[in-house]
Amino acid sequence: MTGADRWSDETLLQPAWRGVVRMLTHYLPVLIFLFIALLVGVVPLLLGAALGPSKPDSEKLSPYECGFEAFEDARMKFDVRYYLVAILFILFDLEIAFLFPWAVVFDQIGLVGFVAMLIFLGILVIGFIYEWKKGALEWE
Amino acid sequence: MLNITSILFYAFSIVLLGAATMVVIARNPVYATLYLVLAFFSAAAIFLLLGAEFLGLILILVYVGAVMVLFLFVVMMLDINLARLKEGFLSYLPLGLAIAALGVLELAMVYWTAPMGHIPAPAPFPGNYDNTRALGYVLYTQYLYPFEIAAAILLVAIIAAIALTLRRRSGTKSQRTEEQLRVQAKDRVHLVDLRANKH
Amino acid sequence: MNIQTLQDHFWWPVLWSVLKILVVVVPLLLAVAYLTLAERKVIGYIQVRLGPNRVGIKGSLQPIADAIKLLFKEIIIPSSANRFLFLAAPVLAFVPAMLVWAAIPFGPGMAISNMNAGLLYVLAIAGLGVYGIIVAGWASNSKYAFLGAMRAAAQLVAYEIAMGFALVGVLMVAQTLDLSKIVEAQAGGGFWSWYWLPLFPFFLIYFISGVAETNRAPFDVAEGESEIVAGFHVEYSGMAFALFFLAEYANMIFVSILTAILFLGGWYPPINLPPFTWVPGTAWLIAKTAFLLFVFLWIRATFPRYRYDQIMRLGWKVFIPVTIAWIVVIGIALETPLRVLLR
Repeated sequence: MTGADRWSDETLLQPAWRGVVRMLTHYLPVLIFLFIALLVGVVPLLLGAALGPSKPDSEKLSPYECGFEAFEDARMKFDVRYYLVAILFILFDLEIAFLFPWAVVFDQIGLVGFVAMLIFLGILVIGFIYEWKKGALEWE
Repeated sequence: MLNITSILFYAFSIVLLGAATMVVIARNPVYATLYLVLAFFSAAAIFLLLGAEFLGLILILVYVGAVMVLFLFVVMMLDINLARLKEGFLSYLPLGLAIAALGVLELAMVYWTAPMGHIPAPAPFPGNYDNTRALGYVLYTQYLYPFEIAAAILLVAIIAAIALTLRRRSGTKSQRTEEQLRVQAKDRVHLVDLRANKH
Repeated sequence: MNIQTLQDHFWWPVLWSVLKILVVVVPLLLAVAYLTLAERKVIGYIQVRLGPNRVGIKGSLQPIADAIKLLFKEIIIPSSANRFLFLAAPVLAFVPAMLVWAAIPFGPGMAISNMNAGLLYVLAIAGLGVYGIIVAGWASNSKYAFLGAMRAAAQLVAYEIAMGFALVGVLMVAQTLDLSKIVEAQAGGGFWSWYWLPLFPFFLIYFISGVAETNRAPFDVAEGESEIVAGFHVEYSGMAFALFFLAEYANMIFVSILTAILFLGGWYPPINLPPFTWVPGTAWLIAKTAFLLFVFLWIRATFPRYRYDQIMRLGWKVFIPVTIAWIVVIGIALETPLRVLLR
């Protein structure tokens, strides 16, 4: 019996605990992985800082601008178009959030579920066409 | 007695509360946004601990992966005057605290009216239980109407977003692919039959 | 047995998990190192050059030399940068690039975590890579870095949607979010029963979006050296830069292995007959991944860089409508007797 098997031996558990235990067996390794990944990410930075030279001077530490002195602050106001892209991204991401559970139960929900999703997509395609015709997708 | 689930629950809750507090008191708005990301993460972890796998992952996908990206865009690219933002802090504080107190009171009422220690255990999971599948099945059979309403709300959001933020800039030189593709040889090249001069 | 006894069995599974994670991460980092060499060699030969050939036999130790060189380089932190976020950004880019591997199965049930919602997890975590880029661009407080970060972010989000829609198509046919089961659903015949054939548009769009998501040529305007020098990581040096590099190449391998799992039958041999079935499944998976990685490099050596408006047009105006339409087509096919072609 391997460790993972012993960990997820659900047959011995009270039914009410099964879901929680399954989450633990599935996501505790992810949590452990998170710490290992942080470690693997931070250690090279520390090593690099420790082993590399550190001879700062004002020219070296100035922001790179092809050899020119940097003029004005780099944190400038930006085209509002980027916000529009981000908002549209949120909306389409939500659509994906709806589509995932739908696709997984496609066989069980039958024709009714399919038609429901066609209506859903139809409504959103109207929005997409509006977006397109308004030129919100043009990048000038 | 503490077990692993409780330890994890308290750990994530502490991170969640700490991060949420930092969102309010952080000086730099970019830091505040990143703390909010951390708060969402801890909330997703708590969802997972409760067995709500789909909700936990969707929280990361939609809120952390999309909504907070928009927040970062806005916070980074707008010149937010910090001093002016902090000015109103004290005057809004009583109202904020009152709302927070109300929230705590409501939660306490739910907690105390439930028979202590007799909160019903969650229904047992069948052997091949799959959170996403269960949710999808309920959503696309019982809750079809709210689902279509969600589509309408998303449509309104798309149109509102475009109406609020779309600005046409004049004098830009953009490529019109449709026109380029529609071009015929006869529109561009005019062949003229020139007699070569014979000497 | 209740949760308390589970706790008695706590440390052994934790150790087991750590072991599994190391078995994935160490070869992955080595693969990243040698992918950089492969890239330089392959592009070298495509351009009728030799590529690196001085360090070790035929340049075989070049990645090691590069790593040591980067380790001994100074990590420059620009004076106007936000120190903490500047150093946190590479870690923010690197951690999601590692975490996505938790759900990847290397054989039947051979994954760090055999989660039910593997595909959803992968999509959610892969979307977090954008933070490293945005934070790097902002924390650097440099114009090129900021411009590159904004370009990269807008590009990533556009292609993430196309990717998500393509995955919905796979889900409709496979009926599960579990990556192992998605592979098992493609078993049966040989390469003709894999999903690349019935879901061909999704296969193409997923892979091309993957190229765009990893900011690789021809979609590399975010770091296009001839336009904005190196984009979001222009101010980075030494190990801080190396972490971005590691993340980018780990993501390339990830996109390739996920394409192999979702569309190219994972660990199944292309033909279900003896000479092919003798080779272990994991070797097939690695071979398919290596082929897709070669396609990555091939694309880079072949195509000139897209212009930014062209990239956005391809993402929003071509990929998204095509995927939505194909979801409807697949849905109709599944509701009619045509379903035998898909299942």
